[in-house]
Amino acid sequence: MSDALLRTPFPERAGAALQDRFLQEALRIATTKFIDLRKESFAGFPQGEALRDRAREIKEATLQHLDVHLERLADNVERVGGHVHWATTAEEAREMVLRLCRDRGVRMAVKSKSMATEEIDLNEALEHAGVTPVETDLGEYIIQLAHEKPSHIIAPAIHKTKGQVAELFSRELKGSFEADPEILTAVARKALREKFLQADMGITGANFAVADTGTVVLVTNEGNGRMVTSLPRIHVALMGVEKVIPSMTDLVVFLAILARSATGQKLSTYTTLVRGPRRAGELEGPEEFHLILLDNGRARQIASTLREALYCLRCGACLNVCPVYRQIGGHAYGYTYPGPIGILLTAMLKGNESVRELAHASSLCGACKDVCPVRIDIPRMLVELREHLDREKIAPWTERVVFRALRRLLLSPTAYRLSATVGRWVQRPFIRHGRLRGLPLVLGKWTRTRDLPPVAARTFRERWKELS
Amino acid sequence: MTGRAEFIERIRREVSKTPGLFGASSAPRPADAATAAETVRRELAERWPGALERFRVEFERVAGVFHRVPDLAAVPAALGAIAREYDATSLVTWDPAVLGFDAAPALTRGGIEVVAARAGAEDEAARLRHREQAARARVGVTGADFVLAETGTLILLSGSGRPRSTSLLPDVHVAVFGRDRLLETLEQVGIMLEALHVDPDRAMSGATINFITGPSRTADIELTLTRGVHGPKEVHAVFVEAP
Amino acid sequence: MITCLGDMLFPEVGVAMVRLLRRLGVQVEFPPGQTCCGMPLFNSGYHHDAALVAARTVRLFEGAEHVVVPSGSCAWMVRTEYPGLLKHDPALRAAADSLARRTRELSQFIVEVLGVTTIGSPFRGKVTYHDSCHLLRGLGESASPRALLRGVSGVELVELPGADECCGFGGSFSVRLPEVSSSILDKKLANVEATGARCLVACDAGCLMQMGGGLSRRGSAVKAVHLAQVLAGEVEG
Repeated sequence: MSDALLRTPFPERAGAALQDRFLQEALRIATTKFIDLRKESFAGFPQGEALRDRAREIKEATLQHLDVHLERLADNVERVGGHVHWATTAEEAREMVLRLCRDRGVRMAVKSKSMATEEIDLNEALEHAGVTPVETDLGEYIIQLAHEKPSHIIAPAIHKTKGQVAELFSRELKGSFEADPEILTAVARKALREKFLQADMGITGANFAVADTGTVVLVTNEGNGRMVTSLPRIHVALMGVEKVIPSMTDLVVFLAILARSATGQKLSTYTTLVRGPRRAGELEGPEEFHLILLDNGRARQIASTLREALYCLRCGACLNVCPVYRQIGGHAYGYTYPGPIGILLTAMLKGNESVRELAHASSLCGACKDVCPVRIDIPRMLVELREHLDREKIAPWTERVVFRALRRLLLSPTAYRLSATVGRWVQRPFIRHGRLRGLPLVLGKWTRTRDLPPVAARTFRERWKELS
Repeated sequence: MTGRAEFIERIRREVSKTPGLFGASSAPRPADAATAAETVRRELAERWPGALERFRVEFERVAGVFHRVPDLAAVPAALGAIAREYDATSLVTWDPAVLGFDAAPALTRGGIEVVAARAGAEDEAARLRHREQAARARVGVTGADFVLAETGTLILLSGSGRPRSTSLLPDVHVAVFGRDRLLETLEQVGIMLEALHVDPDRAMSGATINFITGPSRTADIELTLTRGVHGPKEVHAVFVEAP
Repeated sequence: MITCLGDMLFPEVGVAMVRLLRRLGVQVEFPPGQTCCGMPLFNSGYHHDAALVAARTVRLFEGAEHVVVPSGSCAWMVRTEYPGLLKHDPALRAAADSLARRTRELSQFIVEVLGVTTIGSPFRGKVTYHDSCHLLRGLGESASPRALLRGVSGVELVELPGADECCGFGGSFSVRLPEVSSSILDKKLANVEATGARCLVACDAGCLMQMGGGLSRRGSAVKAVHLAQVLAGEVEG
């Protein structure tokens, strides 16, 4: 996200999103559809709940020996002729890719959808180094041509109309294309097919990596994951360290629930297991395979309150049900990862200061926790984050003063009772037809759009005497 | 640049700071994967008709087209019919030794060019030639190493004589399989994957395993579902009755 | 436990609840020193402060056999969060565990402890029910309020589309991000008005404040009322 945009306060960014009528409609349709598809999928899948429990357990168990699993993974990747790189920071990860491009004379790289590469701003770095990155996931291809960032973890271009896409393709691909998704898909297929066949390097993320075997797993629907890992001569997979899982037996537990959670499909169209570069007997496949293991702030969370966020499968289910995301979409959050889990991931990757506003972009309704395939307790961690913001004095001092005062009020029954008397007195100028309107300061933010009940003429406590 | 030891040490240090959130263990692997796989095969040898029917339903649910032929000898004719349906003039196939049948004689007679991958011919020239042919062919014919009923999924191992592009570049993908490939559940797939990796370099001649569930698809533009984004637009499965 | 919002802004809910419980044969006491469960402090991250309030509340209700709360979120706070907040003091922790066991939201108390689902109430009319987030997801409760509503012969219960969707209150969220909160509310109220119900029923003062405030601002004929008021037959108009 551009720094200029981040300088706009979050409430303003959210406000702008609320005014965008097409975005509102697109969000309503897309999130409702995903919610219904997911619900339907799990309704017909009684083993689903037990599998979610197991998936959560596998993630926790893996974290408890993460170092061991990563070492096994690395050994097994190297055993079949792959190379493993260890990137502590985003910069190191970028540098590894750039060095590879320099050393191997890479001029064009095709990319399969990877949030990790977005996270480290890889495309920008490649372009500066004279390497052309081409996004091949249709949604990512669209936003790349439009010079935008994704607005949803799995449907990056849902904020664009088919008319906008047609216009975009017509302009960038020098043609004249109708606003018909079928036609536009065919245009993309043709344009990108050429790129797949010409590219020097394929770059992917990884949904999972199996430590037992050194296998990287890609879950896609379009086929670009397969193209990118079969046609160019070099395959680079960038993966957050938390994606490793111990065995193939573990893998199928996740496969059983991942697509269902994301799109309601039993399985995505393609699940591709890649174990190193091509073998001697293969006609096709990359000569070289590189796995870049990325820390970028993840390790620090293993022993922190955000540990559970490391279970995340990047399915997007929490985005679809979040009342806030459903109103403002992904861009307003301002960082690579939006939605409920996005707030936690942003804190993880960029520090608590970065979420001083975003930590409150939640009504704590808990819908996210309900649908998370690995049952991450996002609301609890948001509250913990808020606690950090107070403890680290990142929250504004004015707010902290108000809440300290509230505490004192709640601890003193005398002060508490007095506040009712004071309230009744102070509210008089604002009562209209038995409701409060036009209140000043903070409460004005409520009364701008909603009425407020006045402090009662007699509180419950004051009426208790006659009740008892 | 961080070296392996330093990177791992950092993680190990963080891991040792906490016992974790709760007692947890990963999924138990089969104690003897080969025997477990054998057990699955035995069970499916009995239950294959039910699995086949379930596969057909799920495969069609993801827009797959299902065919049945009595024996291997009948396969080329079925392929010819599919090819003609798409006005295909060129077909690319896995090595006939891998497939168990050779479609070339019958189809070439019918005017359809058949290019078969050959195991053991992997020089740079052969690579380039194959890529060009695969990109040109309208139909790609493969076998299937496992066929998963629960989800309507074809599972293909890449390798010698079984290129990846055959099921990826052409507009139409046809997979031919017999009853011995059927599996019922993802859990059984897990067992088979464990078994394959006990001695992976002996069990597999390639580096990838592809699960294919219907044609390539996307809903990235206004959530409208379209097929054939990068991979095939159509997927056909041909079941050969005779064991 | 009457709750701060209940005490100050919705005393009629507390009154209805007391009258209702007495009719069901329950002896009702009101520890006079009670203020608030401390959830606003907790949710905004002021945990040390919330713990102080929790400690006081726990002692206040020590003698009660059952603690009944006309609010899903407050009941959730006491049952789920108090023990953790007070974990550093063994005596307080034990008291918190005890209080958690004895505390229930009103509809849960009536159905689970009293074993009652049919309540004779003079209320007549079409109502629709909103699932408050903390009652639904925090306490796993969606059946008891509906059973109680259906148990009133004059009630026609219409299911609210998106009943389980947040109303947008979220405590301080409603004034930290008022536009987002209102936008979420608009969606909820559109669903409410589409049901044609006369009353919108909920079991949480926060939700009622948000939804009632929106309904009254748009001059809607729909009244936002608490379950206790319907059951006690104390809905005005």
